[in-house]
Amino acid sequence: MDTLKINGQEKQFPTGKFPVTLADLLGQLGVEAATVVAELDGQIIEREKFAQTELHSEQNIELVRFVPGG
Amino acid sequence: MDLISEKMRCSVVGIAGLGGLGSNVAIALARADIGRLIVADFDKVEKGNLNRQQYFIDQIGKSKVDCMIENIGRINPDVRVEGHQVKLSADNIPSVFADADVIAECFDLAREKQMIVETVLTKMQRAIIVSVSGLAGYGKSNEIQTRRISPRFILIGDGQSGVDTCKILTAPRVAVAAAHQANAIVELIVEKIVK
Repeated sequence: MDTLKINGQEKQFPTGKFPVTLADLLGQLGVEAATVVAELDGQIIEREKFAQTELHSEQNIELVRFVPGG
Repeated sequence: MDLISEKMRCSVVGIAGLGGLGSNVAIALARADIGRLIVADFDKVEKGNLNRQQYFIDQIGKSKVDCMIENIGRINPDVRVEGHQVKLSADNIPSVFADADVIAECFDLAREKQMIVETVLTKMQRAIIVSVSGLAGYGKSNEIQTRRISPRFILIGDGQSGVDTCKILTAPRVAVAAAHQANAIVELIVEKIVK
């Protein structure tokens, strides 16, 4: 089964459900891209490239979601 | 002068936004005798800010940048404060904060927090960003944490208490988060940044 490590936790995806891109993953998680900083295998990915960034099994993803207030 | 004081005196910190977080971070670092602050905000002091921001009644209607320069001058005139009355964006952040060793993200909106963190990590070579997500409401002091996400990205907050869901910002909990930010910045200056 394909997996991703998201914020240190391994997540398994059934066949056919593995997200093609980073944007697809955020869609599956129900997270609004405009509020997320993403690092893929330690590399920061700009928000405008989320839809072109393809994912592969066993990659390591850090997703930081911002909530308002300051 | 001891080594810690010497490192503080020769360091430069940028403060992006002078609201509840930024005004508290600026004053904490001024009292800790930081060498230079670069502060930026486009806004004026309003009556509703005084429930959590470090301004005074007689400053209502004046620019936050001017008021913060005045207030820091009354606390520690040895701090050099450079003010920018400007709306920060991905285009001007690299130049406004070009000299900063560390930048404190002190914005209100989630998408602006995202914007500055992404800008510092992709468009700037050296500066470390110390950002906050999740400080609304009251109580739960110990749920506000400081985490190092990557070498140039430190994140503070409980990760979930937004002003959209918690409805309220309180002076003490905002100050807890701001103190985490200022404390992380002092630690970076003393232990991590090589001059």
